[in-house]
Amino acid sequence: MGIDVTVKIGGEAGQGIQTVGELLAQACHQSGLYLMAVNDFESRIRGGHSFMQLRISDRPIRAPDHRVHLLIALNEWTLQTHRSEVTQGGRVIFDSEAGGSDELILPVPVTKLARKAGGRIMANTVAAGACLSMLGAPVKTLEQVLRQRFGDKKAEVLENNLNAAKSGVEAVAGVPFDWAFQWPDRAPAGKLLSGARVLALGALAAQCRFAAFYPMSPATDVMVNLSEFEAQLPLVVEQAEGEIAAVNMVIGASFAGVRAMTATSGGGFALMSEGLGLAGITETPIVLINSQRPGPATGLPTRTAQADLRFMLHAAQDDFPRFILAPGSLEAAFETMVRAFELADKYQVPVIVTTDQYFNDSLAIVDKALELPEGIDRHIVGDADMDDPAAYKRFAFTDSGVSPRALPCSGKALVMASGNEHQEDGHISERISDRIGQMDKRQCKLEGMQKEVRVPETVYPDGRVLLVGWGSTSGMIRESVEMLRAWGVDAGAVCFTDIWPFPEAEVTEILDHCRRFYMVEQNATAQLGWLIRERTGRKFAQAVLKYDGRPFFPREIADKVKAYEEVS
Amino acid sequence: MVEAADYQCDFENKWCPGCGNFGIVNAMKDALAALDLPAEKVLLVSGIGQAAKTPHFLKCNFFHGLHGRALAVATGAKIANHDISVLVNMGDGDCYGEGGNHFLAAIRRNIDITLLVHDNRVYGLTKGQASPTSDRGFVTRIQAEGARSDPMNPVALALSQGAGFVARGYCGSTDQLGDLIRQGLEYPGFSLIDILQVCVSFNHVNTYDWYRERAFDINENGHQPGDLQAAMKYAYPEGDRIPTGLIYRKETVPFTQRIRRLNAGPLLGQEYDRQRVQSLIRDA
Repeated sequence: MGIDVTVKIGGEAGQGIQTVGELLAQACHQSGLYLMAVNDFESRIRGGHSFMQLRISDRPIRAPDHRVHLLIALNEWTLQTHRSEVTQGGRVIFDSEAGGSDELILPVPVTKLARKAGGRIMANTVAAGACLSMLGAPVKTLEQVLRQRFGDKKAEVLENNLNAAKSGVEAVAGVPFDWAFQWPDRAPAGKLLSGARVLALGALAAQCRFAAFYPMSPATDVMVNLSEFEAQLPLVVEQAEGEIAAVNMVIGASFAGVRAMTATSGGGFALMSEGLGLAGITETPIVLINSQRPGPATGLPTRTAQADLRFMLHAAQDDFPRFILAPGSLEAAFETMVRAFELADKYQVPVIVTTDQYFNDSLAIVDKALELPEGIDRHIVGDADMDDPAAYKRFAFTDSGVSPRALPCSGKALVMASGNEHQEDGHISERISDRIGQMDKRQCKLEGMQKEVRVPETVYPDGRVLLVGWGSTSGMIRESVEMLRAWGVDAGAVCFTDIWPFPEAEVTEILDHCRRFYMVEQNATAQLGWLIRERTGRKFAQAVLKYDGRPFFPREIADKVKAYEEVS
Repeated sequence: MVEAADYQCDFENKWCPGCGNFGIVNAMKDALAALDLPAEKVLLVSGIGQAAKTPHFLKCNFFHGLHGRALAVATGAKIANHDISVLVNMGDGDCYGEGGNHFLAAIRRNIDITLLVHDNRVYGLTKGQASPTSDRGFVTRIQAEGARSDPMNPVALALSQGAGFVARGYCGSTDQLGDLIRQGLEYPGFSLIDILQVCVSFNHVNTYDWYRERAFDINENGHQPGDLQAAMKYAYPEGDRIPTGLIYRKETVPFTQRIRRLNAGPLLGQEYDRQRVQSLIRDA
């Protein structure tokens, strides 16, 4: 059995829980370990109750664990709320000057030690020191991380933090801990990245040059990460006056010729719906990230969900082709973004990339190299490609439904586009032949688009029962399948990454192999389950649904499926 | 040399005979010709409404988008390629009603585009409802008691928000209007031209005769466009008289010049250095 330890750090917002988590994550990363850190916080800047759950392993990690081996409680609330999660042999480090250690609780005067080291603000570093020491990490590992983090600050800052860490280490010296492990001394296994950052890097790799957004959790971080590169690359990131403005700016920029994107969450996506339709009818390529959170309306702003699937399928009036892609892991998300821009250009359609709060805010080791695509084809024509530029028609009828796309103001060919139904040259038309012709032209792109769609990823596809999900829950589902198999249930997994156009034939074939299939979704009604029913006629036996805004643990999926299996 | 006739478009016009929009289209053509701007250097962007159909009636590149959102589309297009001249046609409902927030944001950004608001104080496309600039008491089929809200004053609003180029034109004075559009296009920054426009079908109050009696040219009267206080005074009617002309102009830094990255040239044409991107991603 390898290393598999979970540390949970909890306290009030503003206490620096994330800092402790990041210090631990960096220490693990530098020692060559794998990890996944999940953020759980309330929609407030100070106070309340937040925590970060960090799972550490010597193998790649794709899901959080329900068991906590080491709980760092920076306040009483954390202690009371989470002590029951602490597993056999686990410990709690509790910020207290009261003393009175028992088998579970180890009081450490974290705040007091921080003050001694130079200020209350150093409490994170004291906690990180104590935590790493408990886990058996070499002292130099934490030192190294602190030097990286504070090396460019005043010497005093680094000095104080080193002292703070040391006092944390000393406070737990000699305390036995069953879950301490031998720390490897290997090169980092990959890059330590958040989901939001991977999405931004994917956009850069795809040569996205313009992004407009309106701040909305949990999508804002995609733009924060992207804007970091504004100074170094031909890239402009603009905070729009609202989501409606954002999507229309993106359409304008794309129409004028640059790859452009926006990122938002459910409420913002709702505001963007009319723009989505505008991109549809004007055949303007755009990439739109919808990072889901529970709704309706404001719902649970800082929490996670997969509850917009139906909405994304149908948002905006009438029918028009679109892609919906849902990356299943951080590694995959980089390539998904590259693909999204390529597909948008190739088919002149909007592409929705959907993730969620759990995905965007989690940190993990990405051990796949993030390589740029070989080349980028913009699928654009110019005067030189035309016999007679003056006769250019932006919406000319073609067999594939894709008309040659010229850019406005790039030559003699005039580019005319209208959100009204139009004739081939782009002028408004209400003629029946134009309406039917253009509608059919747009819809017939679906034939080509269908061929681009990837079959869901499967694990043990010959399993008697299959667990079916989409997007970010892929890691949890895969792990729950391993648990089920260990318990003697012949289970497999089907993880959708491309949802629309729907891979109908392939999914039917996969599902026809199993006795039963179970949906695993973070919504209240099994939205994908009913889409599968609609497109394939196959119906799920039961659904494991979670819509409390918190990500799944593999164990809870496995438990529920096992219970369903026992009565079926 | 570019001539107004070069913009002649044979696409069937869909406006009512006598519509004030005809004068505006003619003024646009004159302005584009006066600046020797060929169609391939110009992008027209519009929203939804009778005014927003304007780009269909000139031979040019255009993007005819959604109600209220033309300024956002135009902003994206201008950031993507700031070498092109961008003209926006919107109506009063389109720009000041549905698109009010984008109007404010465009002023704040000082995005280098020229906004022509065909301000006929009524909704034409939807057959005659009150608009944000209709007078209180303006009677329509649906506002039988008369409009209950007070009209907004777009010129005063733009001035109060720091707009650098604010003009009021009249669709019946094509020469003056053409010259205002020319100046707006030349102006480096956001330029607003609010155009008093006649709707022959749904506004029987603010007619050609009504405007002829009231509109007067302030620049002929010696108004200096650099004078903000005088400009504020001309934002409002003087009794029965409505001031038209270039009301205010000041030097400003247009939006695309505020983005350091764009000093190197239009975003669209900039080199995307593959090696550099790869190394940035590797180090990220």
